[in-house]
Amino acid sequence: MTEQQLENTLHSAIEHAAPDRLDAILSRCGAQEQAPASPSGKKRSRRFVPWLIAACLALLVVGGVSLQQATAVASVISLDVNPSFELRISSSEKVLSCSALNADAQAVLGDMDLKGTQLDVAVNAIIGSLVQNGYLDSISSAILISVEDNDTQRASRLQADLTSQVDTALQNASANASILSQTFTQDAGLETQAQQNNISVGKAALIQSILALNSSLSFDDLAALSVEELQQLQEAGAPGLPIGREQAAYAAQEYAGVLEVSAITWEVDPELDESPAHYEVELYTQFGEFEYMVDAYTGEVLGGPSGVLESSGGATTTPSTGRPSSASGISAEAAKSAALAAAGLTESQVSALTVKGDYDDGRLEYDVAFWYNSTEYEFEIDGTSGTVLKQEQEAHASAPSGNLIASEAARDAALAHAGLSLSDIRDLDIEADLDERIPSYSVEFKSGSMEYEYKINASTGEILSVEQDYDD
Amino acid sequence: MFFMMGLFTAEYGPTEVEALLESIAKGDQDALAALYDHARGAVYGLALSYLKNGHDADDVAQDTFVRIWEKAPLYRPQGSPMAWILTIAKNLALMRLREQGKITDLSQEDWESFAIPSPAVTAEEREVLHAALTALDDTERQVILLHAVSGLKHREIAELLEIPLATALSKYHRGLKKLRNLLEGDGTP
Repeated sequence: MTEQQLENTLHSAIEHAAPDRLDAILSRCGAQEQAPASPSGKKRSRRFVPWLIAACLALLVVGGVSLQQATAVASVISLDVNPSFELRISSSEKVLSCSALNADAQAVLGDMDLKGTQLDVAVNAIIGSLVQNGYLDSISSAILISVEDNDTQRASRLQADLTSQVDTALQNASANASILSQTFTQDAGLETQAQQNNISVGKAALIQSILALNSSLSFDDLAALSVEELQQLQEAGAPGLPIGREQAAYAAQEYAGVLEVSAITWEVDPELDESPAHYEVELYTQFGEFEYMVDAYTGEVLGGPSGVLESSGGATTTPSTGRPSSASGISAEAAKSAALAAAGLTESQVSALTVKGDYDDGRLEYDVAFWYNSTEYEFEIDGTSGTVLKQEQEAHASAPSGNLIASEAARDAALAHAGLSLSDIRDLDIEADLDERIPSYSVEFKSGSMEYEYKINASTGEILSVEQDYDD
Repeated sequence: MFFMMGLFTAEYGPTEVEALLESIAKGDQDALAALYDHARGAVYGLALSYLKNGHDADDVAQDTFVRIWEKAPLYRPQGSPMAWILTIAKNLALMRLREQGKITDLSQEDWESFAIPSPAVTAEEREVLHAALTALDDTERQVILLHAVSGLKHREIAELLEIPLATALSKYHRGLKKLRNLLEGDGTP
């Protein structure tokens, strides 16, 4: 059963299992809650009406024009990082409403109530909170300021003022983000699209400009990207839809072989305007920090260490930053030395040496195997302390015939046949089967959506069998 | 009203579901019936993924639609009405779990009592559902059932469950692999 079939079966199982309780539900449908009524819709007792009319008339006569100016929305300002905010302001730049357009923005706003403040005060408060929440630290992060106003002169002035104000606020906070700004006039269609996607009209306008470059992209897909990604995409001429930060982080984790590790955090920086367009992903694990370059359109990992929990067959385990944490445990090299020392042998005396790091109930362990004459040794080495957890040796009738190639040579023979390099593959696993009639290495790895399994003659390096299948 | 049952099997998009919610907000019970027909599986599936018990899931699913009826006038179109509906279901399921004080594992006895009375459920469906409810961890089960029945994207599922997208994706892939291994008979979930 394929995964799709499995899902389809689950779907139909649930649909069939869900009891039909419509009658019971309808019988329980009583009064509905009412949405908060707008002031004009509120029922008031009749005796207040003449008073209200009189009051309104007085206001209209005495201060009608100024009241209207004070409460009418003159401009809509949006600030987008990934948190998105929308400020509706009056002509005197008083904030009439400040909305968080997504959950991230809600967290940044917290319990700040910016209604009634001046625009500059509100913008400073939002920028301060964004910096405090770590949104504008990275040199590649960007903030988009958009001014929507039918008065183009006022829009331009607000754009210049806000850009300068945000620039000063960022400098004061030593934040590195770049500032983008735009103005546009009111567009009902854009507002609807923005509302449907929970993004600001400003971000919607940026998306429209990208769609103008490449109409095959979809508004909804682009809405899920950050402003920084959109800006870079626009600069690059929008050749396609990038995979997004989350997918890039997932690709890096999968390649690193750390999907099973729960305590992991990451940072992703889009570099869509570089060639090749990519995401830089830094994974922070208990074993150290690892940096990856993930193709922005295909999701292929272009660089970075694979299988960081393993170390067999020369798969790199060196954190790119060279800063393993104190809890990182011993290296594959140290595990190999511990096993050889326990056997009372040196590396030059043994053959078919393989080292494989693996997790067992959350503990790092290394399996070290080698042959000495006709005896096969297998060790389990504790990945933290380097102590020998288990030792097995098996005497065979004879030593593997002839000179054996190293496991790395077997790996290279398989890679050459597959037309791949070490940086193209993940989940490498090499095992020696030297007590068979023809001693061999089994070399397994994955690349892209394929998995490969090779059997390599351990004496000659000849490929004995190849299996290639879709990795599911 | 009942002439609609069974006819509204076409997949609704967010716009159609929002239109139904708008009608429900105006007191239209036919619209509720149509929404029920469309979303019953998703709501029941979500409740089941949290509660692992058919009877409780049935109760929570009913309560969800009653709550939708009550709250529809407060709904503001945001482009993802299913996420709103499933959030109601999730909150009710969590409330039920809190009332019970614990998450109950599905024993063989429970499973048998859960054994769905509907003759429409085939033996194969029963086997797959049983595997999903017993072999997966909580998040794997929630992500997979939601993906199978709700039509939500992984990003929306991650938001609903309040987990990072990467976690949702890895739980989804790992859980499906577990199920396949189990169902294909090597016994290792």
